[in-house]
Amino acid sequence: MLGPAVQMVRFRKGGFVATFVALVAGVMILTVCGLLVESGLRYQGAPQRYAGAAAVVAQRDITIAGPEMFGESESTTLVLPERGGVPEALVRRIAAVPGVADAVGDRSIAVVPVAAAKVPTAGHGWGSAALAPYRLVSGTGPRSDGEIVVDARLAEAGGLRPGSTAEIVVGGTVQRFQVSGVVAARGREAALFFTDAQAALLDPHPGRVDAIGVLAEPGADPEAVIASVRKAVADTEAKTYAGDGLGLVEEPAAAAAREFVVQAGASFGGYAALIIIFVVAATVGLSVRHRRRDLALLRAIAATPGQVRALILGETGVLSLLAAVVGVPCGLAATVWIRGELVDRGFVPESFTLRGGFLAVPAVIAAVAAIALVSAWIAARRATGIRPTEALGEAAVEPAPDGRVRVVSGLVLLALSGCLIALTGGLDGEAAMGAAVGMLYTFVLAVALLAPWINSGTARLLAPVLRAVWRTSGHLAAENLRANARGMVAVLTALVLSVGFGGTVWFLQDNLERETVVQSREGTLAQHVLASGAGLPASAAEEARRIPGVLAATGVRRTSVIVPMDFGAQEVVAQGIDPQGAEQTLDLRVRSGSLADLKGAAVAVSESRAKSSGWKLGGKARLWLGDGTEVTLRVVAVYDRGFGFGDVTLANETLGGHTVTGLDDHVLIRTAPGVGTAALAALAERYPASTVTGTDRLTGELARDLAISAWLNRLLIAVLVGYAVLAAANTLVMAALSRTRELSLLRLVGVTRGQVRRMVYAEQSALLGVALTIGVAIAAVTLSSVVNAVAGQPVPYVPALGWAVIVVGTAALALVSTILPIGGLLRTPPVEGIGVRE
Amino acid sequence: MSMPTADDVVSVERVSRTYGGDQPVVALDDVDAGFRRGTMTAVMGPSGSGKSTLLHCAAGLDRPTSGRVLLGGTDLSRMSEKQLTELRRDRVGFVFQAFNLVGALTVEQNILLPSRLSGRKPDPAWVAEVVERVGLVRRLRHRPSELSGGQQQRAAIARALATRPEVIFCDEPTGALDTQTAAEVLELLRAVVDESGQTVIMVTHDPVAASYADRVMVFADGRIVQDMPQPGVRRIAEQLAALGRRRPVAAREG
Repeated sequence: MLGPAVQMVRFRKGGFVATFVALVAGVMILTVCGLLVESGLRYQGAPQRYAGAAAVVAQRDITIAGPEMFGESESTTLVLPERGGVPEALVRRIAAVPGVADAVGDRSIAVVPVAAAKVPTAGHGWGSAALAPYRLVSGTGPRSDGEIVVDARLAEAGGLRPGSTAEIVVGGTVQRFQVSGVVAARGREAALFFTDAQAALLDPHPGRVDAIGVLAEPGADPEAVIASVRKAVADTEAKTYAGDGLGLVEEPAAAAAREFVVQAGASFGGYAALIIIFVVAATVGLSVRHRRRDLALLRAIAATPGQVRALILGETGVLSLLAAVVGVPCGLAATVWIRGELVDRGFVPESFTLRGGFLAVPAVIAAVAAIALVSAWIAARRATGIRPTEALGEAAVEPAPDGRVRVVSGLVLLALSGCLIALTGGLDGEAAMGAAVGMLYTFVLAVALLAPWINSGTARLLAPVLRAVWRTSGHLAAENLRANARGMVAVLTALVLSVGFGGTVWFLQDNLERETVVQSREGTLAQHVLASGAGLPASAAEEARRIPGVLAATGVRRTSVIVPMDFGAQEVVAQGIDPQGAEQTLDLRVRSGSLADLKGAAVAVSESRAKSSGWKLGGKARLWLGDGTEVTLRVVAVYDRGFGFGDVTLANETLGGHTVTGLDDHVLIRTAPGVGTAALAALAERYPASTVTGTDRLTGELARDLAISAWLNRLLIAVLVGYAVLAAANTLVMAALSRTRELSLLRLVGVTRGQVRRMVYAEQSALLGVALTIGVAIAAVTLSSVVNAVAGQPVPYVPALGWAVIVVGTAALALVSTILPIGGLLRTPPVEGIGVRE
Repeated sequence: MSMPTADDVVSVERVSRTYGGDQPVVALDDVDAGFRRGTMTAVMGPSGSGKSTLLHCAAGLDRPTSGRVLLGGTDLSRMSEKQLTELRRDRVGFVFQAFNLVGALTVEQNILLPSRLSGRKPDPAWVAEVVERVGLVRRLRHRPSELSGGQQQRAAIARALATRPEVIFCDEPTGALDTQTAAEVLELLRAVVDESGQTVIMVTHDPVAASYADRVMVFADGRIVQDMPQPGVRRIAEQLAALGRRRPVAAREG
């Protein structure tokens, strides 16, 4: 049936445009997702500093066993937010492994060279230079603890050469070193080498090293060496990386980026696939419905039901192939653009490149073809019901909505959504969010299933209203709506999906951002903040407290910790504070307990986190610090403002040695009323790269960071909504253009052009009005239950612009997809129009 | 009236067809009829008399509620939808009033469509002859929308002939044509019967069209009320007129 199928497609181009456009867009979206996932899976970072090592032993991720279910335990592996280290003692153990020439403990120390502050730099011990290996281009290695070697980029940017003095910010203070040599370097970060002894001294992680590089003996079998090393460290948390994996050790951002890209691509691909199924099924169904007579004729003269099905499948298959030809290149171009944006916005490192596609592209084409063919098969099954005698009649009459299964499953889903509303009301935080997403899906599915009945019900219900407003035209409109209830199913579904789904997720983002910013602003009692990109030592807060007029100063460090969940574990934002006087700089809105008790093995947690992890005041909380160290802490306070300040608050002493820099990010300073900032400015001068600003700046930065991380979510929603609206527009245009005959007939029997136009307005208002109402209702219910669970406010915040976009967008859709095409049709003389075959 | 005999290519035995619903409509009421090989029969009657239903049932497009239909000795009542289709494309040709052709295909492709769907190679000499006879030799590559109404009907007849079916069923084949074109089409159908010995069963309203037939069968209220061998236009018209006058007396709507 492929020959006739191709011909059908070529002949009835108009009828297939909708399906084709839907398929092209689908292929494009899924290509982007597929390519991101594949690139992510293949992405390993690029080994530079460890290029000469046979293997590297390090701990970059943590695997946490989940609860046992059905005899199997699911475990979660998370990238450590503060790059975990390995015990220094392991170095000697690995060096003793046969075939290992040397094992080098590599330290990674946060440093800022004052002369080249813009160049991201990390400090290491000189011993680790052998792992690259780095080549001296001038001078010698550091001979004493006062000497350093810099890489060529630093030398160039800072004007450094052997013999010159360099000021380096390390540990929050400026120290002077003599440059003894310059090395040629590749590497993502610029490198700076201290003597090994000096590096050990400066490293905030005593007794631990960042990674251990393994140099194999010449002639040793690398595989055997790697295997032996792996065996030697098998009893520790450390892993042995080799080959491509070296990039992941060197650049922990790569591992995080990889996880992020794979997750984002896969989950978005899942949503997209669902919507594509809806849209393609609707458009294929429509194209079958539009040529019932042709199909009936085929049935009458020669085609078996199977052959008609094969014809429809063949057409869809041909369209999928064409769609792939157009969609894949568009998808590739879009992926390149997205990759650029992701790098610019700091979601992934510069070294993230798009790779492969040999897997993703065929998979996407196969997936879209499968979606299209399944939809076509469903539509074709309905076409089998076309009786051959229909070919003989004058008009192809659309049968009444059928399918008891459809009604029943629609009603069941509706009931399920109702239950989920009740459930969400009783939940908190993340669990509520999960329930809400489930609710969203069941709602939209229920509407899609019940759409024919919703449409005809609407027509009946609104008939008196339409008649009252538009009189004759309104009466005609109500009749048309009832007759076309089935044809407009796709429009209703697409619009409800756009408004319900898009509205919920988009505005949820707004609400979360707003909640975070509001909590942060209201919870910050300090007026000033001393902040430094290079980090601040604990002495900064102490010095601030000594300044006359300063009531309290709190050193704050931002980090992340890993908390256990019902199933597995999760990384959450945390902060470390210096609890002394914290009640005067921070108001976390403590519900029970007190931040003053945050000493020793203690922790304060947010209310929602306490609920999800099952922690109670006075009880024990088991969690993992950013470097993977497991700690059990006493819960001393439970607070409300988890969004603004992180779900977990620890004492800085607990975090000591477990963050990369070991320094505070900023110091919050509360001064007595009327105290000037001059004394504070003097404080800033003592700490390199630091400034004193008002705390409102801090909130502003927080808002900006949030906007950046929300960007991706917003992009995804925009794409999905755009896709659904495209589908609705397609259907509307197709429906409008197929009305030539009907409209001509109306005008021949005496309906004026104005009346026809008003009839179309009335139809559009009713159809889109109902879709909008249902969509808004779904969004409102979902949004308010989530916002209530998360922020404790029953009324979600929706920006005025949001409402405007929804209403204006729907009106524009009606205008472009129906009113303009109908206007065109009305310009044809009715006598000509009546002769047109449908 | 016309009891089926062994010579009949199509026979309808005690066929009834009721269209369901709360108020069932009896379209055919216990009808017996036989159609002999190599003849042309016109089936006439007012709207709703059951003539089209008879055609649909006899051709295997619709299933009778009771009774049975034999086509070339094969009982249609026990056949599946697929078997019916296969039977239609091998042994039956159709000419409808309008919309006979698939718009996407050229005239030639339309003519060859049944053979193509059955996967059988058509006899090229026969197809050429058919095309020649319907006078569409120079129109083969055109699409239906580029043809006149008469040409479209002739293309439909060519398609109906191409597989050498035993019976050609026509439903108002001249209903949408002017007098001149209608005459051409009817002559063509007549020639098919006379020259190839095929059987034509034609539903029509038009006494002139019916006068081309060997036999005229008149339906009213789901039954055969007249069965006349070659009655001539005038007699057909009289019969129909009588039926029209009788009509309001009949208590039942059909």
